[in-house]
Amino acid sequence: MTDLTQPRPVTAPVRRSSGLFGIDLASPRHARKLGYLLLLPAVLLILGILVYPMLLAIEISFHDVKFATLSFGASDYTLKNYVKLFTSSDFWNAIGVSAKLLVVVTSISMLVGLGAALLVNQQFRGRGVARMLIALPWAIPEVVAVITWLWILDASFGVLNWMLLKLGVIGLPISWLNQPLPAFSAVTMVMVWKGFPFISIMILAGLQSIPEEYYQAARVDGANVWKRFIWITLPCLMPVLGVSLVLTVLWVFRDFSIINVLTGGGPVGATETLAIMTYEEAFSFFRMGYASALGVVTLIICALISAFLVKKTSHAVF
Amino acid sequence: MKRKLWQSILLYATVIVACAVVLFPVYWMVVTSLQPPGSLRAYPPHFLPPDPQWQTYIRLFIETDILRWMANSAIVAVTATGISMVAAVLAGYSLSRYQTKSSENVGLFILMSKMLPATMLIIPLFGIMRSLGLMGSLWSLIFAHATAIVPFATWMLKGYFDSIPNELEQAAQVDGCTPWGALFRVILPVAAPGLAATSLYGFVLSWADYLFARTFLANNADSWTVNLGIATFKGEYQTDWNLVMAASLLAALPIMIAYLFLQRFLVGGMTAGAGK
Repeated sequence: MTDLTQPRPVTAPVRRSSGLFGIDLASPRHARKLGYLLLLPAVLLILGILVYPMLLAIEISFHDVKFATLSFGASDYTLKNYVKLFTSSDFWNAIGVSAKLLVVVTSISMLVGLGAALLVNQQFRGRGVARMLIALPWAIPEVVAVITWLWILDASFGVLNWMLLKLGVIGLPISWLNQPLPAFSAVTMVMVWKGFPFISIMILAGLQSIPEEYYQAARVDGANVWKRFIWITLPCLMPVLGVSLVLTVLWVFRDFSIINVLTGGGPVGATETLAIMTYEEAFSFFRMGYASALGVVTLIICALISAFLVKKTSHAVF
Repeated sequence: MKRKLWQSILLYATVIVACAVVLFPVYWMVVTSLQPPGSLRAYPPHFLPPDPQWQTYIRLFIETDILRWMANSAIVAVTATGISMVAAVLAGYSLSRYQTKSSENVGLFILMSKMLPATMLIIPLFGIMRSLGLMGSLWSLIFAHATAIVPFATWMLKGYFDSIPNELEQAAQVDGCTPWGALFRVILPVAAPGLAATSLYGFVLSWADYLFARTFLANNADSWTVNLGIATFKGEYQTDWNLVMAASLLAALPIMIAYLFLQRFLVGGMTAGAGK
């Protein structure tokens, strides 16, 4: 391989056998082969660690297995897991929690993300630093973020309760993680804090690509700030907003670490999403077949949601 | 357009308040880690520790395996990012230059592989890793992370390569470069900011993982990564919040520093593929 990267004199013949499998990959005739060759490592990784396990999970979901094995067809095919799933109240609860979380977290994150991006897109001194700082939560690992929030939310000594009491918002300390609604709010809070910076980063890049002339022209025509936002900023941002929306929705729907460490899905299932339930069934109760069925349903819902969103935003995205 | 004084004041005030709210948890992590154990339960809380306790960090190094956890995380993150960057550079370049038709579908394919719920994949992967004897080994994590990084990294890099004119390699090839030479000596140096942003993305993704680490490594404490270690540690030292916060800060620090240095590349990198 080293001969490939050695400098060649300018006078050397332009086309020489590059030696790889004796095929002259520089020739246009073999360009397609080289193209596929370059794709190979990525494709192998994805086939081995994404596609094959996915097929295996689908296979397992049709078996009554209590522990994950690699042997195909070890037991008879059965629909038992799916029947159990659709008649289980836990499953419908998890669907409800996932849906609620999806709507609440995604909408708040998008609004906060858009607001933050618009703010640090203004002209002011120290803008670079502000841009850097406002997106910092993106770089903090989820587990670390959650543990920090656990301390902030501590019922007896947490700083959040102290602040809220001081401001007179609440009369008594809230036991954040032991009651359904506060626990759900806590999960929302942490997810928004962790999730909005990514949206901001995306939107900021989108804002920077809008030509300044558009705004100048609009100003000449007498459009005020609000009108410029509605008629220039938003339409130009649509592609970026669409991509951010899809990525955020998928993240909220599948996230494991935040909820697992913060509430573990409790109290009484108030924060138990499909992802949390899948993991619990698989690795706390070792019902691998049942858990796989849950995973497959999660996958199908993810596919439907993203297909819907891509369709809705496709004129702008692709 | 000149801003009036009150508008400037309002703008700066908003920026400062927004940054303060967003950064408060990080600030609280630092302050708590320096608090003497007695004043953790002070009422009202101390917003500046009167007597910073640096020895908390020394206690952390002595009493816990945090240095080993961080070393494990670093090994996994560097190796996984390395593997996935090789795969993603080649694939991204190929999609940008060779597959004109099929690359239109790549956006959807990337989206599809981002769609797979990790909590589903981990069930068969658990079985696969067990039968390969990789349970408790860092390699199980490296492969899982590399594959999680590759799709989005490919997408980001394809966007970068698209922005580099084709004429650049053509010129290089006319001057006697092979396709490989053109890629490694002409295109990659030009795409350096993109490579930096993509590597940072991969590193952050790997360093932040908890799900795979918890499932594959739980039984082998020697190979714990920093998130797994801290989550377990938090369970044991329930009330020593100063120690827990010191550990958390250390775990977040490497990525926060990398982020601060590479942030300006990131903005372009993440949207390179999305904006079109």
